[in-house]
Amino acid sequence: MLREKGFNAFVIVGGLAAWRKAGHPLEGVPQSDLVKLPTFS
Amino acid sequence: MHGALALISRHGYLIIFAMVFAESVGFPVPAALALVAGGAGVASHALKFTIVAPLALAAMLLGDTLLYILGRYTGWSLLGFLCRIAANPEACILRSAESFYKRGKITLVIAKFIPGINTMAAPLAGSMRMRWQQFLRLDAAGAALYILTYGAAGFLFRDFLAAITRGFQAAGRAAEEVVVVAAVGYMAYRVWLYQKNKVYRVVPRIQVEELARKLASEQEDKDRIVIVDVRSHGYYDQRSERIKGSVRLEPNNLEQELKLLPKDKDIYLYCS
Repeated sequence: MLREKGFNAFVIVGGLAAWRKAGHPLEGVPQSDLVKLPTFS
Repeated sequence: MHGALALISRHGYLIIFAMVFAESVGFPVPAALALVAGGAGVASHALKFTIVAPLALAAMLLGDTLLYILGRYTGWSLLGFLCRIAANPEACILRSAESFYKRGKITLVIAKFIPGINTMAAPLAGSMRMRWQQFLRLDAAGAALYILTYGAAGFLFRDFLAAITRGFQAAGRAAEEVVVVAAVGYMAYRVWLYQKNKVYRVVPRIQVEELARKLASEQEDKDRIVIVDVRSHGYYDQRSERIKGSVRLEPNNLEQELKLLPKDKDIYLYCS
């Protein structure tokens, strides 16, 4: 769909799991991107 | 079913404990039948109520507590995993969480009677950080209700146990047929999905090592790279991680999200 819309898109083989397994850098998700789900606490 | 009854008559308490525990941690074991047979055993003085009832209650609470702890420590991963088969995983997670938040207390009490929900209720309570004492109180009420209902059925209708067993057998056969039809339907759906998405397999792919090399290369190349996280559901846990420098794209809101992506750069997409 991205390609159809003119984006030069690629898919990373193995996704996050492969990236993590290869030991490449990760980062924590910014607070602003967190989706707050209801909790009882 | 006859096999289960015969086992209970021979090994009594141990089998009831094992079957109730196994069902409470999610194995497809007919614990209700064990409780019915246990009730009949009490009525015929082969088993003692003062042992059967606390034993079954302990087995159920032990299994539920394990799932509660699992939910507590895995956060939303468990719900995310279960929602993967939904048409819209994001909506599935949000809806399930909100529904349990509104009706979680009563759900815990009646969940034992609803297949599927019975295994989900305890880990959801853990994921949603329900207080331990509150969980234990509600779960114990639900477990006691379940055990007494089926135990009483066995006790009161011990003379009709054979007929009840036949009923269970018929229901079991019907359930087997439903499961087979559902499995075939699901497989057909997956094949259809595979065929439908075949066209997308032409999208160029990149290995992680190659991308890492590009990121480590000259500034000009590096600046052309945008790494985009398109995991099917959002970030729910504080400990969530992603590829360093990547941005989030919500796949369920693609039309709007695409407006934020640059067309003059290389977009590298990844999921879990």
